[in-house]
Amino acid sequence: MSRKILIVEDDASTSAYLAKGLAEAGHAIEACADGRDGLFLASEGIFDLIIADRMLPGLDGLSMVSAIRAAGIATPVLILSALAAVDDRVDGLKAGADDYLCKPFSFAELSARIEALVRRSDRAATEPQKTKLSVGDLEIDLLARAVSRAGRSIPLGAREFNLLEFLARHAGQVVTRTMMLEKIWNYHFDPGSNVVDVHIGRLRRKLEDGFPTPILHTVRGAGYRLAVEG
Amino acid sequence: MAIRLSVTARIALLSIALALVSNLALVGFVWKTTSADAIDAIRRETTEQSEALRAVWRSGGLPAIRQAIGSAVVPGDVSLVLAVVDPKGRAVVGIAPERLAVPLRVTQFRIARLGADELWSARETGYALHPLGTYWLLTGRNLDLIAAEERAIERALAVAVFLSLALGVLGGLVLTRYVGRRLDGIAKAIEAAGEGDLSRRVDMIAGGGDAFDRLAARLNVMLGKLEGVMAELRIVTDSLAHDLRSPLARLRTKTEQAVLIADPDAREAALGGLLVETDLVMRMLTMVIEISRSGSVSRDRFIEVSPANLLEEIGELYAPVAEDAGLVFTIAIDDRPPPMKLHRELISQAITNLIDNALRHGAGGGEVTLRIVHQTDGVAIQVEDRGPGIAAADRAQALKRFGRLDSARSTPGAGLGMALIEAVARLHDGRFELADNAPGLIARIVLPL
Repeated sequence: MSRKILIVEDDASTSAYLAKGLAEAGHAIEACADGRDGLFLASEGIFDLIIADRMLPGLDGLSMVSAIRAAGIATPVLILSALAAVDDRVDGLKAGADDYLCKPFSFAELSARIEALVRRSDRAATEPQKTKLSVGDLEIDLLARAVSRAGRSIPLGAREFNLLEFLARHAGQVVTRTMMLEKIWNYHFDPGSNVVDVHIGRLRRKLEDGFPTPILHTVRGAGYRLAVEG
Repeated sequence: MAIRLSVTARIALLSIALALVSNLALVGFVWKTTSADAIDAIRRETTEQSEALRAVWRSGGLPAIRQAIGSAVVPGDVSLVLAVVDPKGRAVVGIAPERLAVPLRVTQFRIARLGADELWSARETGYALHPLGTYWLLTGRNLDLIAAEERAIERALAVAVFLSLALGVLGGLVLTRYVGRRLDGIAKAIEAAGEGDLSRRVDMIAGGGDAFDRLAARLNVMLGKLEGVMAELRIVTDSLAHDLRSPLARLRTKTEQAVLIADPDAREAALGGLLVETDLVMRMLTMVIEISRSGSVSRDRFIEVSPANLLEEIGELYAPVAEDAGLVFTIAIDDRPPPMKLHRELISQAITNLIDNALRHGAGGGEVTLRIVHQTDGVAIQVEDRGPGIAAADRAQALKRFGRLDSARSTPGAGLGMALIEAVARLHDGRFELADNAPGLIARIVLPL
């Protein structure tokens, strides 16, 4: 689905790379290189998402995001920055950004985060809160916290359920390891070992053992996707 | 042309001036008091003699006073002036100038030249004049002796001035040499530091403890710290550059290979490998930044955290990983410590690093325990394994940034994990220590309560 995305980035090559990649993914792109211009454009309220650098001329990224929020604009903002320390990310999120991605970034991760952000804001705007999610023959009852596939109940631990719910809310999209660490475990650092893969592996065995079709797919170099394919 | 004097030359000149002024003041004071005392004595003597002789005159007239003067004159006393003078100023009896050059009128005590002739014109006399009928009684004493004393004092003064100058110059030279040498040592150390040599130190006088020594001691401490920081920085830079070379070289080779692969599936697999290498490099750089920044993390980042809950969360995250690696993974919380103010993210990262290390290096031992120990002085969060452990002698090396033990060279990692844990422990005013688990390793973060 095509989205209108504003890129506020003063590094011309990064801006061009982002614009090209996102345009190829079917989005409509507008770009500017100055924090004040970014604030002006954002205040038009026509964008589905704003991608902002932190270090900007005119008005720095954090101040720009704060100003956007102070003006009552709810457009999702993703900060894209080379300032990658834990405290930098916390600063970004506290300033009012919805997500924070560190440079250098993988395009798959950026796309996954963009989809997650705009989908969430769409849902917040239009859909009533769902109590059930389904992906193919997989049913997730959010109230009873129960999961079944093809009518057969699958018992899950609390953390496994949260993981599956997160994947199901972004069904069909790539969800990266970092996103899962951030949303499920609230860790804003890379633990280095394959912790997420191990948890996904366990969840996958519960969801797929005894069923003919796979439902939790590995996207090489990017992350995982919950979907019925083929 | 303005003359620029060095500090030491100024100090020397100042010391000379001070010596001169103090000597002059002292000698001047002696000169003044000596002279005043002597004149006072003469005044008293003159007055007493005058009164005594007038009494003799009143009782015995001129013959009696002639006799009294005769017996009062001591042979060889050249300074005594004692005479009866006629109304024309000529001495009738006693010692006085041929003719008095001072007016004949009652005089209590005065200092003047009494005669105009050669003998008397050069000398001053303290005298008194009193009438004896038509005659006058002259009593007094020449000031030659006082003048001689004054000359002697003046000579002493001249010698004193000379000596002060000489001593001042000498003292100045000694001071210049001493101060100069001390300042020189300090200046040289600073100059050397400015040129990049931080190993130079300022010499101190054994048992000294003067201002120069205190300055030198502080300077030496500062230079020592600076040297340590620079050495660490150099190690970090060198090690970072060194340790980056391997993954970057692999990255380059793999990229080259990937470019040449024709089969799309194989190329995709190769590109996946590139991402893994890139992530490794990124992780190293992120960790170096986290370590260097951990020193300046503000306290408002600290939040109330229950260490036991945190440990359980992390344990839950890692338990499947440990189990998949075939390990017995235990979380041991015997006594739940109270909530503490912690930097949740950094502490979590430090603990996951500990577990990661245990999984990587201690997995052979078959068990890993995540334990919390509530001690009187703090809370110890520790990860215990049953692997080969680290010999006591090697533990300091393991804690250093980029410090990797030879045994760990074959496994991936840049030796930054331990350094980060150490930095995080320090950030919390705690400490990081390694201990023997007999067999195996206990890696422990102790946080003060």
